[in-house]
Amino acid sequence: MSVLELSHVTKRYGAFVAVENVSFTVEKGQILSLLGPSGCGKTTTLRLIAGFENANEGAVMFSGVDMKGRRPYERNVGLLFQDYALFPHMTVVENVAYGLKHRNFEKARIPDRVAEMLSLVRLKGFEDRRPSQLSGGQQQRVALARALATNPEVVLLDEPLSALDAKLRQELRFELKAILSAVNATTIVVTHDQEEAMSLGDSVIVMSAGKIMQQGAPTDIYANPKTRFVAEFIGRSNWFTGQLARSAKGMAELNANGGIRMFVNIPDSSPGDGAFDVCVRPERIRIGAANASSGDSPVNEMRGTIRDVAHLGADLHLVVEIAGGQLLAVTEKYFGQALEQSGQEVSITFLPGDCIVVPSGS
Amino acid sequence: MKRYIDNSAAWLSAANIIVVLVFLIFPIAVAVTMSFDAREYLGRFPPPEYSLRWYRHFFSDAYYLTGLATSLRLALITTIVSTTAGVSAAIALDRYVGPGKQALESLFLSPLIVPAVVIGFALLLFFANIGVFDGFTRLLGGHIIITFPYTVRTTLAGLVGIRKTLTEAAMSLGATERRAFWDITFPLARTGIVAGAVFAFAFSMDDVAVSLFLTSPDSYTLPVAMVSMMRTNFDLTIAAAAVMLMIFTFVLILVLDRTIGLDRLIGKGVFRS
Repeated sequence: MSVLELSHVTKRYGAFVAVENVSFTVEKGQILSLLGPSGCGKTTTLRLIAGFENANEGAVMFSGVDMKGRRPYERNVGLLFQDYALFPHMTVVENVAYGLKHRNFEKARIPDRVAEMLSLVRLKGFEDRRPSQLSGGQQQRVALARALATNPEVVLLDEPLSALDAKLRQELRFELKAILSAVNATTIVVTHDQEEAMSLGDSVIVMSAGKIMQQGAPTDIYANPKTRFVAEFIGRSNWFTGQLARSAKGMAELNANGGIRMFVNIPDSSPGDGAFDVCVRPERIRIGAANASSGDSPVNEMRGTIRDVAHLGADLHLVVEIAGGQLLAVTEKYFGQALEQSGQEVSITFLPGDCIVVPSGS
Repeated sequence: MKRYIDNSAAWLSAANIIVVLVFLIFPIAVAVTMSFDAREYLGRFPPPEYSLRWYRHFFSDAYYLTGLATSLRLALITTIVSTTAGVSAAIALDRYVGPGKQALESLFLSPLIVPAVVIGFALLLFFANIGVFDGFTRLLGGHIIITFPYTVRTTLAGLVGIRKTLTEAAMSLGATERRAFWDITFPLARTGIVAGAVFAFAFSMDDVAVSLFLTSPDSYTLPVAMVSMMRTNFDLTIAAAAVMLMIFTFVLILVLDRTIGLDRLIGKGVFRS
């Protein structure tokens, strides 16, 4: 039985539908990311699970038990708030012990449990500090220790890394994952940051306007987005819009706007003809002419002019202008090669298999 | 040239502060000094000799002592009632979202705007109409009304800095809403609450305008006693009474602050982190 199950949950505020017919399950020890832009309903979903809001329709079930009408303190969730919500007038120990006291944890064992949690988040020696005397990363670890101390059935993380600076974020992401797996926590991460969602989650749900757009493993969502919204929200993308005509088995030709023609791979199940949007990821586009040895599979080759080269450390971000004035984003790895120059004429290539086909306007 | 204007503006504001300080402190210093005057009549400042005769006079005068006792009793009860009511009202206001919130807030603060004389007179009529003629009860009613806006205001100011997520965090950790209030909201708002209590006490001790209307022959406050003595029997006992009023206000504010206020162990100031 799933630890957490949402079944056809809908939440309305007056005429506004914040969450519409959302269903998903989370298994023991799994991390699920809820990803979407602000206002997509992900935070409302989190609040419905925590019990701060009640669903108008549908059910939130913990291990098969309907939580309907149960207040937050009658559910066993551990919540990590975006602003950490540490109690400023309590020490680190008092913060971590707070949940243990109120969840009827055996009193004599509270100090041991607090010490255990603090060593888990590597904050030994900070017991008597107040939150204001800790750095952002330390505050977050206290908040995590506090949320995990009571052994919650479900752990909810609200934008866990967004308040931290980029460097700290990478360190803590790894640490957070290690801690969550150490206690085998069943976790839901709510975030608008695709990196956070994909790096933390075993599974990702992309939401928009209160609805689930797509659910899958991070790689699956990145490689096979079902809609333009999902493709654009996760990762960077170049778009070609036009009419698709099936040419051979698993292959079609796109007559894109601006006179661009290209071959794309499409699954047999796809209708194959009609208006479609085609996405090519920046890292799938190669600079340079096509290899003669590519065999009989067709290669899409275009001429273009480099308009910008940005060196971002390991990655080079290029902007290439192709026919019709369309600008393409291209990513290359930097391994010491001579950089292309702005204004330089180049050939760019990508394979039909690099193209992601989604219904037009989706 | 611009620099000179800036500089002279800085000098002007410094001079301004000094002038204000002089005007604030000088009259009080004169009153305190004169209360130690050894002369029997009201002479020129400064007194040639000093003594405690006016203080002896004050402490042997039953009229003043009754006033002081009433003032202290009144200020204490007023502080307790006004703080309790003000805190409850502020919490309700803070949590309430919906139409009329602004209007309600203004209504709670309205005694600040209505002239005290009007409040005093209106209360006198009101108490007469409902048949309350006991002086102390009337004074208490009046003082609660004039101090209530301060306790509401300062508590609200204390509550505003407390993030809603703190209460939610407590609830997600198993605390009921009531428990979360006593564990989180109340301690964090305490600075504001205590400030309100201090204001309530000070304003109750100090008030003349409202009290004048509501006193009865056997229930009058020290400031009222001072006003009536000034008219009938003007001597420097009034200066001594003024000093006593200041001392009692100051001491009681200090005690209030030390006992329920600045709990150094628990924290510092208003939490806004």
